[in-house]
Amino acid sequence: MSAGAGLLELQDVHAYYGNIRALKGVSLSVSRGEIVTLIGSNGAGKTTTLRTVLGTVRPLRGSVSFGGRRIDRVPTHRIARLGIAQSPEGRRIFAPMTVLENLELGAFARADREAIPADLERVLALFPRLRDRLQQKGGTLSGGEQQMLAMGRALMARPEMLLLDEPSMGLSPILVETIFGIIRDINRLGTTILLVEQNARMALRVAHRGYVIQTGRIVLQDAASALLHSDVVRKAYLGEK
Amino acid sequence: MSDPGRARPLPAALLVTALVAYPFLDRWLQAQTVHAVTDAMIYVLLALGLNIVVGYAGLLDLGYAAFFAIGAYTMGLLNSPVLGSPLYGHAWSFWVVIWIAALVSAGLGVVIGAPTLRVRGDYLAIITLAFGEIIPVAIRNLGDITIDIGGWRPVERLNLTGGENGVNPVGRPHLPGVNFDTDFIPWYFLILVIGAASLWAMNRMRDSRLGRAWMAIREDETAADCTGVNPVKTKLLAFALGASFAGFAGSFYAAKLQAITPGAFEFNVSIMLLCMIVLGGMGSLKGVILGGMLITLFDRILLAQMTFLVRWIGRSLGVAVLASVDLTLWRWFFFGLGLVVIMLIRPEGLAGRRVRPPAADVDEREEALALVTAPPRPRAEALPAWLREATAARAGAAPALEVRGLIRRFGGLIAVSEVDLVIPPRGIVGLIGPNGAGKTTFFNLVTGLLRPDRGEILVDGASVVGLRPHAIVGRGIARTFQSIRLFQNMSVLDNVLVGEHCRLHASVAGAVFRPPSVTAEERRARTRAQEMLAFVGLGDKADELAKNLAYGDQRRLEIARALATEPALLLLDEPTAGMNPRETDSLTELIGLLREEIGLAVLLIEHHMEVVMAISDRITVLDYGTRIAEGTPAEVRRDTKVIEAYLGKGYEQELASP
Repeated sequence: MSAGAGLLELQDVHAYYGNIRALKGVSLSVSRGEIVTLIGSNGAGKTTTLRTVLGTVRPLRGSVSFGGRRIDRVPTHRIARLGIAQSPEGRRIFAPMTVLENLELGAFARADREAIPADLERVLALFPRLRDRLQQKGGTLSGGEQQMLAMGRALMARPEMLLLDEPSMGLSPILVETIFGIIRDINRLGTTILLVEQNARMALRVAHRGYVIQTGRIVLQDAASALLHSDVVRKAYLGEK
Repeated sequence: MSDPGRARPLPAALLVTALVAYPFLDRWLQAQTVHAVTDAMIYVLLALGLNIVVGYAGLLDLGYAAFFAIGAYTMGLLNSPVLGSPLYGHAWSFWVVIWIAALVSAGLGVVIGAPTLRVRGDYLAIITLAFGEIIPVAIRNLGDITIDIGGWRPVERLNLTGGENGVNPVGRPHLPGVNFDTDFIPWYFLILVIGAASLWAMNRMRDSRLGRAWMAIREDETAADCTGVNPVKTKLLAFALGASFAGFAGSFYAAKLQAITPGAFEFNVSIMLLCMIVLGGMGSLKGVILGGMLITLFDRILLAQMTFLVRWIGRSLGVAVLASVDLTLWRWFFFGLGLVVIMLIRPEGLAGRRVRPPAADVDEREEALALVTAPPRPRAEALPAWLREATAARAGAAPALEVRGLIRRFGGLIAVSEVDLVIPPRGIVGLIGPNGAGKTTFFNLVTGLLRPDRGEILVDGASVVGLRPHAIVGRGIARTFQSIRLFQNMSVLDNVLVGEHCRLHASVAGAVFRPPSVTAEERRARTRAQEMLAFVGLGDKADELAKNLAYGDQRRLEIARALATEPALLLLDEPTAGMNPRETDSLTELIGLLREEIGLAVLLIEHHMEVVMAISDRITVLDYGTRIAEGTPAEVRRDTKVIEAYLGKGYEQELASP
């Protein structure tokens, strides 16, 4: 399943997060055009995995490559320019700036400035709620809208790959559905997605493949539909008795 | 050589011997450092006082030297035989004035503290900076006061402070048989005694109800307020007590120097004191002592010695620039350089709390189990007996919460519009609705963080509208936050102890002198906190810093902290957000158990429908600030408006499918 030529490749990554040895040999691969989800409990190492990709946490051992190129020693801002964007956990938007300014900042590092208006249009088509609020300050948006803004901002970088950290956290059931629908749409438009989620059920429904991480190690990997029906996953992550 | 022993963890007896022997050794060696060391100790005392404000309470004070000035001038005005104002004539004894100076400084601490209570960070820094500037200017200008009202001059050329020239001389302390006039050694011992007593008092304050309240305010003022800590009182106490130590230091300084001028209390003194704290380690008594000693002694002794050395080298080599150099003119350069280097190497300061080395790996067996184990299930037997007793008295018939016609606007936006909500005793009510519907605003109104524009909020039959959050906690309402708001840099145990704050009574004097009643209360509080932690399954993590806990544990700690306030009603804001299904189950059980065992009423904001539907007696649904539905879970689930606005069509399928 994990072919050697994925767009994103993690090979035996070990990393500390603070004092905790958060990753103990994580290997995973995401191929171009896929949605891959990484599920697991709190503290299992999901967010740390994303951080090693972005370079905000450096692996002690192992390698991270993107598009065939080692990136585990590349500065974070340059990784962003290589075509990886993320929508961070907790919706870290720029609260005192308007929605439009937030979106424009997403395109900050791009060279093809003339293509930006078209992309803004594309993002606003994905998130019609944001169009109504373009001049509103980011901090005044509701939780769900901030989540959309964070994702929209990430898309403005026109990334080849999008990292999503808990996009459904704190959202109402109807918005969770909407967000996962949008994730599917983004992927159909050609963006590869690595999705970290607590909501394993929704994540596995939208993803092509999935990895289960437990205390810093990948313990299961399979097609998403197979994981959705695996006993261990159903017991441990879908809350079935 | 001078005094490095203070920073090392030497046995106490050895330390005392060294401190007592030092001045005599110094005299024997003819090193003549006692004078400088005594001055250094004055600054250490000042830095320790400032540490209460900055290190403990987290209030950035850039004008602390003003209190130093107040202390010095109190001594100068009351204990000087010369000046001509009505205050002079009979000099008061040093031993009396030093206490008056502390009181006056503390009083001014309250005066400066009061208007700054609502501001933090940058604004507070600017206001204190201004205060620090005002005092020396006022002292300068009060040296020549003439009040002229249309030619009538009730006061003419009154010299109150000595103006630019200051006060000279200032009287010395008198003690039979002790020579304060020509010998430095008695001064050294006097400041040693004052310093040691101050340190003792500060140490005890830090480890008390008050000390925990300071740190809670520093970590998160809103959360502290909502946990029952009165932020106004706590901050004023920090200002007042911090200033009182400056009063001691100032009056000692004036008497030792025998002359004071306004120039000695300028802005750079405040900054130097801050540097001492940052260098040593904010909040660490040992660190502040070390930082203060290092900076002053570097300035007073080392720079002068090095100047001689460099000049000697310059003369030997025939380099004119070096031969005439005066390194003391470069002191700020060296301070700055030293501070930058220290901050790069040890950002937490010389003796600050170090980030601990990586913890040992999780036990492999534990790991193997972790895949299928659930978090500890709450058990009724583990429920602390004291919590049962404290809440047993509240078997009232009045609703735990009754909200009528609540309205709150933000500008043109109506966040909460005419909302009614009643929670019967022992009731569990769910509050759901789309993101931005006003649920959290509703919580903030009930807990006093926001004031309603209109409407009634009754707790146990009495209105709580207009009460501050900490007072509402006192009435028996506790809450948790959507994004966890623990006191991150405090221990897990201390977080729960802050929860108990509003049920404890120790005063400042009690904290320092520890009468048996306070000692007993503190011991009881700690036992209770420990029991509470055992109940929520954190019994073995009491000494960890809250920020080092795993996410699910942090959520549980926040609930434990809320329960420690002995609430009758608990408001939970998305308690299971980010939890996995097992943790969610365990929390759901916990809520049910608390209702069963201690009759706790709960208002629950939650997006996990399996939780809300399972444990709520009734559910209120908000959309755009208005109540669109109210009823039992079964009724709400079928309500078309609720499905359209919140649940979504997919929710029905979700229930049906695996």
